[in-house]
Amino acid sequence: MKASPEWLTAGDRDSEALAAMLAPCSAEALELETLAAESRAITLRRFGRTMSLYAPLYLSNYCSSGCEYCGFASDRTTLRRRLEPDELDRELLAMKRLGISDVLLLTGERTGQAGFDYLQRSVERAARHMQRVTVETFPMSVAEYRALADCGCTGVTIYQETYDRGRYEAIHRWGPKKDFVQRLETPARALEGGMKTVGLGVLLGLAEPVADALSLYRHVRHLGRTWWRAGLSVSFPRIRPQTGGYQPPFPVGDRFLARMIFAFRIALPDVDLVLSTRESAAFRDGMAGLAITRMSIASRTTVGGYDEPDRAEPGQFDISDDRSAEAFCAALRARNIEPVFKNWEPAYNGPSGVSLQDDVVSEAHPCP
Amino acid sequence: MDVYHLGPQAFSSRLILGTGKFSSASVMLEAVKASGAELVTVALRRFNREQAGDDLFGPLSAIKGITLMPNTSGASTAAEAVRAARIARELSGSPFIKVEIHPNPQHLMPDPIETYEASRILAKEGFLVMPYIAADPVLAKRLEDVGCASVMPLGSAIGSGQGLGTADMLGIIIRESGIPVIVDAGLRSPSEAAAAMEMGCAAVLVNSAVAAAGNPVEMAAAFAGAVIAGRKAFHAGLMPQSRTAVATSPLTGFLGTNA
Repeated sequence: MKASPEWLTAGDRDSEALAAMLAPCSAEALELETLAAESRAITLRRFGRTMSLYAPLYLSNYCSSGCEYCGFASDRTTLRRRLEPDELDRELLAMKRLGISDVLLLTGERTGQAGFDYLQRSVERAARHMQRVTVETFPMSVAEYRALADCGCTGVTIYQETYDRGRYEAIHRWGPKKDFVQRLETPARALEGGMKTVGLGVLLGLAEPVADALSLYRHVRHLGRTWWRAGLSVSFPRIRPQTGGYQPPFPVGDRFLARMIFAFRIALPDVDLVLSTRESAAFRDGMAGLAITRMSIASRTTVGGYDEPDRAEPGQFDISDDRSAEAFCAALRARNIEPVFKNWEPAYNGPSGVSLQDDVVSEAHPCP
Repeated sequence: MDVYHLGPQAFSSRLILGTGKFSSASVMLEAVKASGAELVTVALRRFNREQAGDDLFGPLSAIKGITLMPNTSGASTAAEAVRAARIARELSGSPFIKVEIHPNPQHLMPDPIETYEASRILAKEGFLVMPYIAADPVLAKRLEDVGCASVMPLGSAIGSGQGLGTADMLGIIIRESGIPVIVDAGLRSPSEAAAAMEMGCAAVLVNSAVAAAGNPVEMAAAFAGAVIAGRKAFHAGLMPQSRTAVATSPLTGFLGTNA
């Protein structure tokens, strides 16, 4: 069994400061209100009064892993399907009608029905419709990430779920996801393959949250130091009710979640912090402007779901904030925050770090 | 009239406004008007031809008397910036391009190597190139040599509000430059903008300082006044600074005028 890397286990002064902010009961406990005020000031200065929006699109719910907490685990009786090319086009067009231009494509762990070739074809199609395409799928090789980057995929979201190795190995009952270190090294492989952004997170509820938060922070810092071009983001997913009825052994309340988000904003002042529709409308509205800079909108967690939203199917988890795109944007505007749908340009697609090519120089055309 | 030139174009307002980070397009437009800016920069990634409500370019181009300068914010290499510049020219018709290449999306520091390459190519293609750079006097001259219309060194990190942290280097750049020097990024207060103008900058660009202010429209007007005051002061010539008091009646008058 491969050992955990040193960056994960070695303490440092930076993470001590974060630990102090996360400890509500210690002597040096910082008032939540104080953290919120500092977090808000940093967010306003660095990101202004805007919120970047994206939406997830589940390509497939086939899965080969047995994650105890997941509605799509391979032992669930959920009806399995994947989007075929014409369906995918219809879904993307339906998303575009909502204004969405930044899509996150999702699948389960690698299967014959939804493997790399299927994903690559889907990315290619999505890049024809959307300004920005990122994926939250199965771990891939450097060469596979490179191929996806060449098709217009610019980012990868990959949660470690928990950095507690014992807990990790217990809940990931079978399948490729069982390998803790293989998953831990995935963001680095994605960046090596030319991805411009990686999104990290822990699934809150699976393990002791303070320890997980500190490990997550060390992971972000490790990647930032090693891959200096990497765009980094951190998400804060909390376990939601889903098929299978998993009860989280370490439930995380609103106050701790808020504390964790503020602490991450202060510790990582220029990193995108992401909050999905797993959270309630009230919590999301409250967090807008205080720390979060990127949110999902009008989300579906079923396969597809934008083209025929009334089709009843169990999703990966239940959405809490089910407001329409318009209602959500109106709530942001009421808080003096501008929702931003397009914050990217396909001219910036292509693998990271590839410097000027000769073809760009030779195709230089003079001003008309 | 006190104007400065960017390529063939003359500008009398020495305040350039950035258009990101505002709470709404309407607040941004009001701030632009209040600033009196004649040159405004807008990111190509905020051009949205498919959704008017999400587009910054359309509403800005409707304001009379404004020249739009697209920028390549989001580009991380010269190749991407060159592609973006060509698209921006096609869409906007503007000859200006603000070259912004920051490969690290967290600290957003400009990449000198990629910026130089992109600027060289775009200047050759006839763009009026306005490169955003660190306050590096050598890089500034290299960019002048390849035909840039100006250089835009940072006062401090973008969005930091740390003011003129690079003042010493800016002083060298201004002294040596044959093209307009525009301080871009880091300014927080109108007094800092005035200080930059007193140093001899041709203009200043602000965005966060206005967009993140309590009242952005009022702050835009405050910057406009400060830039005018700073320019006037530069023109008038500041009195020299001295570490010691300078007596009005000389202490060495008794020495007479003979050697």
